[in-house]
Formats: sequence, C-alpha cells, structure tokens
Amino acid sequence: MDGFAQEFAIAMTSGLLRGSVYALVALGIVLVFRASGVFNFAQAEFGTTGLFAAYAALELWGWSYPVAFVFGLAVAIAMGLATERLVIHPLRNASKVTVLVGTAGVALTAIGLQFWLFNETLIMTMPKISDAFFVTPWGAAVTVQALITAGVLAVVAVLLALFFRSPSGLAVQAAQQEPVAAELIGISVRRVSMMTWGIAAALGGLAGLLTGPILTFTAAFLSFGAFAALLPGFMAAVLAGMRSMPGAVAGGLVVGCVEQLGSLSVLSTRIPGTGAAVLFVFLLAVLLIKPQGVFVGRTVTA
Amino acid sequence: MSTTEDTTRALPVVAPETTTPTKKGRRALSRKASADVVPATPPVDEKPFTPGPYGKAARGFVWGLLAWFVIAVPANVLSPFDLGVSDVGAATEAVIFGIVGLSLNILLGYAGQISLGHQAFVGIGAFTSAYIVTDLQLSFWFGVLIAAALGGAVSGLLGAISLRLTGLYFALVTLAFGAFAEQTLLGIPEITGGEGGKAAPRPTGFDTELRYYILCLAVLAVVLLVDWRLTKSKAGRALAALRENPRVAATYGINVKNYVLIAFVLSGLIAGVAGALLAHHDEVIVGQKFGFRLALLFVMMTVVGGLRSRSGVVIGAAFFALLETGKLLEMVDKPLGAVGFSLTDFFEGTIGLPQEFVALVVGPILLIVTITLYPGGIGQQIAPVREWLLGRRFDPHAGKVEEVTVSDVRA
Repeated sequence: MDGFAQEFAIAMTSGLLRGSVYALVALGIVLVFRASGVFNFAQAEFGTTGLFAAYAALELWGWSYPVAFVFGLAVAIAMGLATERLVIHPLRNASKVTVLVGTAGVALTAIGLQFWLFNETLIMTMPKISDAFFVTPWGAAVTVQALITAGVLAVVAVLLALFFRSPSGLAVQAAQQEPVAAELIGISVRRVSMMTWGIAAALGGLAGLLTGPILTFTAAFLSFGAFAALLPGFMAAVLAGMRSMPGAVAGGLVVGCVEQLGSLSVLSTRIPGTGAAVLFVFLLAVLLIKPQGVFVGRTVTA
Repeated sequence: MSTTEDTTRALPVVAPETTTPTKKGRRALSRKASADVVPATPPVDEKPFTPGPYGKAARGFVWGLLAWFVIAVPANVLSPFDLGVSDVGAATEAVIFGIVGLSLNILLGYAGQISLGHQAFVGIGAFTSAYIVTDLQLSFWFGVLIAAALGGAVSGLLGAISLRLTGLYFALVTLAFGAFAEQTLLGIPEITGGEGGKAAPRPTGFDTELRYYILCLAVLAVVLLVDWRLTKSKAGRALAALRENPRVAATYGINVKNYVLIAFVLSGLIAGVAGALLAHHDEVIVGQKFGFRLALLFVMMTVVGGLRSRSGVVIGAAFFALLETGKLLEMVDKPLGAVGFSLTDFFEGTIGLPQEFVALVVGPILLIVTITLYPGGIGQQIAPVREWLLGRRFDPHAGKVEEVTVSDVRA
C-alpha cells in the first residue's frame, strides 16, 4: 500500500505541474468566451505558433533566449489580433457554431503552416530556461522549468485579477455584458475585443513557450500533439462554468490531476490510453452532475 | 466543365419565355425577364416553367456528362483517361467522404450542432464491421448493419448527454469522445488488432476496385435519398424551425430535444455505414487513422461544401478527399499540361509548398475564406447550375446567402 501511496503522490505532483499549463490555456479560453461568446479552438495553437517562432529565432537565426522568448510571445499576440480582425470580427453576426468552425480553421491554418515551414527540421527541441531539477521527499522528480511554469501561472492569475478591477478590465466586462450600452458610454467594443484576444493569445503563447522545452515538439504540439492541452483546457474552462477566472485556474489543476490518475498502474496496465478515457468519463460526470460548472464562485446567476 | 457553362449561358435565348405564376417559378426568373414578362397581377392558372425541347436536350446532355464522369470514367469505358487502380480507389474514398459529409451535414446543417468527434463514429463503424467480418466470420451486410446501429446508438447517447446544455457543449463532448475513442476504444487489441490493425476483406462480388466503387456510389445514392426525404418530412421541417429559433419552435409544439436527438442518431447511423465502407475499402484498418485531424477535415469539407446543400457537401467532400490523396493536383495538371502549366510545379516551385503539404495549408485557408466571405460554400456557387439541371430556369441569383445563414440562438 505504501507503494501505491507513493505512486499516487508522484502522479498528483506531475498532475499539478501539467495542470498549471492547462490552467493557462483555460484562462485564455474563458477570457475569449466571456468577450466573444465563442469556444476558441485556436487557443492552444497560439501557444504552438509562439513556440515555433521562438524556436526559429533561437535555433535558426541565433537570437538570444530572452529576445527569442519575447519574439515568440509577440508572434502569438499578433496571431491572436489577426484572428480577431480576420475571422471573429467579420463573423460577429454569424452563429456561434460558425465562429467555432472559424477558430478551428485558424488552428488548422497554423498547423498547416507549421508542418510546411518546418518540414525539414525533423526533431525540434527548445533549451530549457533552467536544466536543474530536484527530487521531492516522496520521490517525484520536479524540474525547475515546470516550477517556473507554475510560478508564471500564479503571477498571471494575480495580474488578471488586478486587471479586471482596473478601468480597462471593467470596460472589458461592460462591453461583453451589454455591448450597445458600453458603446454609448464611450467604450470602444471593437478595441476591447482586440484587447481580449490579445491577452488570450499572450496566455496561450506563454503556455507554449514554457512547455515547449519539456518535450520535443512537432506541429500542433499543444493542440493534439505531444502536450495536448486543448481538450484539458476546455474541461478546466467547463469546470469554471466558462466564466470564472479563479475557477479556470483551479479547474486546470484539477483536470491535470484527474488525467494523471490514468497513469496509475492500476488502470494503465489494463486499459489503453487511460488518460483520454479518464478525462472523458470525468467530463461526462461533470456535465451530468453539475453542468453549470464547479468552480464558478459568485459570478454565475442562472 | 466548359460545356456546362456554354450551354447554361445560351439557355435564356433557347428557352421559351413562359410566364411563371407560382412562387417558386417567379423566384427563378432573372431580373430582366421579370421586368419584361410578369404582369402586375400574375394570372393564376398558367403552367410553371418547363424547359423547351432544346433546353431538355441540353439538360439531358449535361446529366449524361455527369453520369459519364462519375461512372464511365472510373470504369475506363468511353473515356480518354486511362485510370489505374489507385485512381479508382481514390474515387471510392471520395464517395465515402461524401457519405460522411452528408452525415455531418445533418448535425451541422440541419440541427445546428457541431460534432468534433465524427471520426470516432466513423472509426467505430469501421472496426465493428471489420470485427464482424474477420473475427466472427459473418457477412459484410450484417457488419454494415451493426456498424450503423452502433454508430447511431453512440451518437444518440452523446447527444442525449450534451442536450442538457447548450449547443456548444456537444462540440466539447464529441471532442473528448473523439480522443477517448481514438486512444482507448480503438486501441483495445482484442477488437482492433492494436498497432498492426485489423483486416477487413471486401465482400464477395465486390472485390475489384471498380465494383466496390459502384457499391459505395449506390450507398451514397441511398443516403442522398434518405437525406432528401428527411428535409421534406415533418422531422426535416421541425429541425429547420428549431435551428432558426428553438423557443418559437417549442411554442408551436415541436419537441425540440426529440428532434435534435433524431438528428444525432441519424447522423451517427450514416457515419457508421461510412465507417464500414471505409474499413472494407482500406482492407486493413488501423486505429491511428481516426485522429483529431480527420474530425477537423470532416468539418472542413462539410462547411466548404456548403451546409444544407446536398450537392455542395458531396462535391466539397470529394474535393477534400482527392486533395488529401494528392489526386486532385494530378487531375488538374493533366488538362493544364496541354497549355504547359502545372499546378504542382506552381505550388512547389513558385510558392515553395511541397505537394504533400498542399492539403494541409490550402484546406484551412479555403475554410476561413468560405465562412467569412461565401457562407454558402460550394453549394451556393453551384446553385444556379443545379437549379437549371433540375429543369428550372438558369438564375444566377439562386442560392442566396439569406437561405444558408446559420442562426443558432441556443449557443
């Protein structure tokens, strides 16, 4: 039993660390859903694209790490803004399903471009910010890179909380709740929409740039590649009722841990692809028992 | 293709100018004709537009041309092209994708629900049929039947769960189900043969590529018929009403959940059949084939084809299937080669896009262009020709955008 307890502790540790990436993605998804009312399937692709840009800058053009990192982030933000301008804005009167297909189209375009432009590079790896790691008392190896990711998540969560109390943040909330009234009192709904997509893309970019160094990556790395964070990110957002920011963070961590339950040898030796199976069952359970979300706080009324 | 355009252009001169009192006929009139012909109070008892003898001949010729292209060219009968086995195989895949497209169209087009796990329904159908034929040694037809039943049941179940919430959640549930099916269900070695895949032999009597192609074509025809009857039935009208506004539909006594559920089941059923056909087309089927990219490809081809347009969806599906296999570029390059131009060279040389990446890059861009600029997709572009082929006037304004906009208020 001691062996199982240790295995469980290790799984939960890696679950929390993976979960912080899911939380970053989920924050972007919730932000966009609140602003545009759409499930953004390109959210994870912002991250992969930023990662590819940083990789190109660092490894192919020989820029320094911080510059390449900022460049990757800038590319992700640019992609977010372009998505808003070229797809979301023209479709503002279309149905939600159409806009959803549009964001999927953005993701697929990005994936196609990644495949094409990097098809000559077979294995892509990004150096870590720090190669150091340490072993916890219960035997889980924790890399400093993963800890940095968790730290960035904490900082981002606090910044977002502060932002939504600032005048700009209040403008964002006003614009999404009542766009016409917001326009009347002088809030540019258009600019708010751009801002939201920019922030969401930056969050996605951070997720990509921080996870890229953990594994070798290919096109669609963060969507359905080696570090598939899109679906877990969505689940975290559902747990947050698609509204609550702290809920998205908590949801991401929970989803990360739930997914790691699948890696326990009790399950993984009997069922293939346990991570996906556990997540699917978990999503069904949430939707059946508490479809309005779990970590929703006071924000949800209906 | 040029023949089609020439004859259609010539039509207004050839066809007799009959006045058209019915609503349908008046819509089909071109603007000029309506200004000249339609009187202030249209007479009630006149016959609707029917093409004259030349018009009938021209339409018959184009129909014949279509039939020749779909049946005779793959069979290498009366055809200048010498198609190989792989070409016919690609055509079969295009037909199967057409069936998948129609299945997705029922959800996306009629019910206003998006499925991002359609590859899983297809995959379940594929492995069910392969398992029944290879392991249980039962007949292919029985396999198709069970594949259809299972596809419909799974889709209905997922639909019933997600109907508790708004439309967008079905996308999420199907997305999660797709990942689950790909990695878990289709990874069970006892049923799916694991990494090596599962053998799925062709049914007796349909073992050549051409015969199997004809079989798939026949299934496509049946699905088209079912789809057509669906849109004409009470269920079809109910779906149209509830897609436009579920609250109003419910007020008129339409059981919204039941009808959406019918759409889920029917869509899963057809996807299951398509999966069975795909399995026995490939002859060996592996679970990895049914990844998330395939789901997105299905959505892409259906939307680019044009929601709620049967012909458009089938053409869009065939287009993407052929683009994926690289046959489309070959097909385009053959006639273009006569004028010394090659699309493959253009992509590879001028843009620097290798041929195997054309589908990956061009497809999504087409998707974005379609939904932002031409929401009716291919179906909207070909609507005038289709109307003309069905014996109505050639009207360049047929298939207006108003008729194809999606309004999903639930979401």
